[in-house]
Amino acid sequence: MSKPLESHWTAVVNGEQKHLEIAQTTRLVDVLRTHLQLTGTKVSCEVGRCGACMVLMDGEPVNSCLIMAYQCEGSDIMTIEGLQGDEKGTLHPIQQAFVEEGGFQCGYCTPGMVISTKALLDAHPEPSQEQIETGLCGNLCRCTGYGGIIRAVRKAGERCATKETSAQETVS
Amino acid sequence: MLLNRKQSGKRWHLRPDGAPKVTGQLQYLTDMTLPDMIHGRVLRSEYPYARILSIDTSEAEALEGVYAVLTSKDVPGLNRFGIATPDQPVFCEDIVRYVGDAIVAVAADSPERAALALDAIRVEYEEFTPLNSTDAALAPGAPELHEHGPGNVLHRTEIKRGDAEQAFATCDHIVTETYYTPRQMHAYMETEGGLFVPDEEGRLNVFAATQHGYKDRMQLARIIGCPEEDIRVVSSPIGGSFGGKDELNVQPYGALLALRCGRPVKMHNSRKESVRAGLKRHPMKIEMQTGMSREGIIQAHRVRITADTGAYATLGAPVLNFCTEHCLGPYAIPNVDVEGVSVYTNNGLSGEFRGFGGNQAIFAMEGQMDRLAAIMNMDPWEFRRRNMREKNDPGPLNQRILVTDGLSQVWEALDRSELWQKHQSSPADPTLPPWIKRGVGAAIAMHGAGLGYGIPDPAGGRLSLNNEGKIEVAFSYEEFGQGLVATLEIMLCDLFQCSTSDLSIIIGDTDRVPHSGSSTASRSTTMAWMALQRLQIPFRSRVLDVASEMSGVPADELVTGPGGIWRKGQLPAETSEVETDVQGTGKSEKEVTLALEGVKQTSAIGNESDQTAESYLGLSQHLVKESVSSGFVVSYAELATQGEADEWIFDTKFDYPTTPDNVVGGHYLYTYAAVAAEVEVNTLTGETKLLDTRHVVAAGPVINPMGYIGQIEGGSVMALGFTLTEDAVMQDSRYVTTNLDTYMIPTIQDIHTNLEVEAIEDLPEGDAFGPRGIGEIGSVALAPAITAAIHQATGVWVNRLPVPREQLVRPLNVPLQEGVSPS
Repeated sequence: MSKPLESHWTAVVNGEQKHLEIAQTTRLVDVLRTHLQLTGTKVSCEVGRCGACMVLMDGEPVNSCLIMAYQCEGSDIMTIEGLQGDEKGTLHPIQQAFVEEGGFQCGYCTPGMVISTKALLDAHPEPSQEQIETGLCGNLCRCTGYGGIIRAVRKAGERCATKETSAQETVS
Repeated sequence: MLLNRKQSGKRWHLRPDGAPKVTGQLQYLTDMTLPDMIHGRVLRSEYPYARILSIDTSEAEALEGVYAVLTSKDVPGLNRFGIATPDQPVFCEDIVRYVGDAIVAVAADSPERAALALDAIRVEYEEFTPLNSTDAALAPGAPELHEHGPGNVLHRTEIKRGDAEQAFATCDHIVTETYYTPRQMHAYMETEGGLFVPDEEGRLNVFAATQHGYKDRMQLARIIGCPEEDIRVVSSPIGGSFGGKDELNVQPYGALLALRCGRPVKMHNSRKESVRAGLKRHPMKIEMQTGMSREGIIQAHRVRITADTGAYATLGAPVLNFCTEHCLGPYAIPNVDVEGVSVYTNNGLSGEFRGFGGNQAIFAMEGQMDRLAAIMNMDPWEFRRRNMREKNDPGPLNQRILVTDGLSQVWEALDRSELWQKHQSSPADPTLPPWIKRGVGAAIAMHGAGLGYGIPDPAGGRLSLNNEGKIEVAFSYEEFGQGLVATLEIMLCDLFQCSTSDLSIIIGDTDRVPHSGSSTASRSTTMAWMALQRLQIPFRSRVLDVASEMSGVPADELVTGPGGIWRKGQLPAETSEVETDVQGTGKSEKEVTLALEGVKQTSAIGNESDQTAESYLGLSQHLVKESVSSGFVVSYAELATQGEADEWIFDTKFDYPTTPDNVVGGHYLYTYAAVAAEVEVNTLTGETKLLDTRHVVAAGPVINPMGYIGQIEGGSVMALGFTLTEDAVMQDSRYVTTNLDTYMIPTIQDIHTNLEVEAIEDLPEGDAFGPRGIGEIGSVALAPAITAAIHQATGVWVNRLPVPREQLVRPLNVPLQEGVSPS
């Protein structure tokens, strides 16, 4: 078997510059899970429907199963592991709201759901029900029936609205 | 009690697995890796039904980086598996019966190379015409898919009482209808997979999801041909199951490959492979004929159930038993004639799924009730009440069941509800365009818990004070998202008035837990509660006796509490591990700020300290000795140093309660639910939108409100999919809907955001069985409520799920223009 073409890939992942020798056709989800051991990003449908692999690429939510390494070369990638509260080792208000409201059960969709919520609240700090539905309709959850998730997003919205600046800091 | 966060007050308990889940730190078994691991893949059948003429693996074996290529010849023990009936081949030897059948497994140094190896395998088949329906499989002269016939019948059921034939002759009204239900997919977000690690002592460590680790261990030992003790199964945490991971899936292949290669093997099904090979809910055809007297009292009920069980048995027979039991509903019917048949076909694999055959039965029976009420021109809820079983009546199979008021309570609670009251007055809204129609419907159900009479259903558990001074419980249950660990925490804190930081909860590891049965059939909460009731007595007695010896304070003046033993009446004020306030106050926010430190992970496999369940525990916050006053006597840690370690361990074993009457599959404990639903139907597109629902559930005390709400909401939305959109469509026994882009589970845009849960917590005084499980009850009665609402909205009686949109589209009925062709 011939060796796949490898090349140099760089990107900023969760605020850290990463350099890898990988085939440029490697999917971002595999770069994250396999090469960087960031397994918070999950695989589930692998066709961009379920949102379990959602990450932020230059601040925009993307399904990392649909993004190839060459497409995110030099990008700023944020995964669930990059999200935290103001102080290191604490929960981001979104994460905290998910815990408090039971916005998860098995938890497998949760990282993607939290990332999509981050993108939603960055764009709409106080989202309407319609904006919540639009913002999260790319993330499937089979356990919660979405009730706890909606309550968590609303609560997180209230908190983020008052802590907007700190939320921004964690991205950069 | 209307169940929500506000009403729950101090019982709103934050899950110990919350922070690791929302931060992505929690390692699922499919996230695990080891540096020297290789990757397993399975070659599955090209055809739904064929004879294998030859298998040539030589090219695959010769590939660089391929470590093993296994076929049926490489199975040292039994080449079959199946929880109840082991008839599914690990590897097919001669005949393939569905597109998920495994023929070869390979292990290679990368997933890509394993895929190449599969491509290099040549299998020659003689293709047969698949039996793509139960009709085809039951047709005279149809080929028999299995030797254990007769024909293609897996199982038959029957309930006969009175004389239905004669009773129908005297009935004033008879409703005859045939109901069809879909092949629903579990669609757990984490597909099947895990890591299989042979260790230096010759043991095999299996890190793969299941709902019953011991059952997997037994089956794997049978396949490998080794003692069960040579296998350790670690089986939690799980990214969803809903019944779908109860059977072995990737485990036989991972295990055999790992043992052959002597290296860790990782398996992880793609979604497409998961769809192709995995279990589905049984599609059923249920023919019902129900007759009543002039007064609207049901006299006769005839039912014929045909279940498409697919290629192998799995739990097809118990599912049919359950469906048969539940197709009489909670009604007293004197003359009954029910027959069920579960039929082998080449249509995938049907098996266990949340609700276990109840969903199909209740949809059909409740549909009959609405049709009968309509004939009587009677309020459908009142019609149900007239026909409901009395409190002391026997169960559906004429078996003795535990008497509770659950049925009448859920009936009354729903009757009072604002949503159901809307049914009385036409919910037409003049502001809506004329093609938008609204309606309200309701349904009621009794649903059995536990495996039923005649099926071994062992339970038990272990309670100990471990050498770290933690109150430790161990069960063979699994955490697949339902919140079991949180529920156990609450139960233990209730029992011992201790803090969560005093606890160690062990589940999901056959090396560390006693055999206490499976996490299925809504049974874990009840079983854990019953076990703790038994175990707390000897445990408390020893703890207090030893504390008394150490302190000189009489044992009857001591109690357990946070951190250790206290003098009676001097326990510190109630601790604040349960969040006290909901919105806004700085205090509550501070209390629930969770530190991520101390979240142990499962990644260190092979390490002695690998303790999957303990990863849930690192989060216990604050508390303990800061508030210790003079009432504190001795800590659990100090107690644990006294005597021998095994003196602190208490075990119990018992069976899930069953009816004393000899009726196979008959249940003893039932939960009750009533559901109302309001829908909006667009008669131009046929789209139905669920607007509002109310679930009333009678299942005893609510232990864990967050978990309870989550299970009812989650079950309800799963049932919404069952009702409106979900169907794993097959064409010629091949899946057409192969992924989540065509198999439509509800999204956040499709759900009913008005979802109220009312919990009825009463149980008879002295009830020995405690809280009932609610894992399934939220999913069983929504479908008939929705179809009843659709009927009120449109006049259409729906008899098929998912609801066919074309049935709800109204002809335009535009007056024809003179001289213009209508075409």
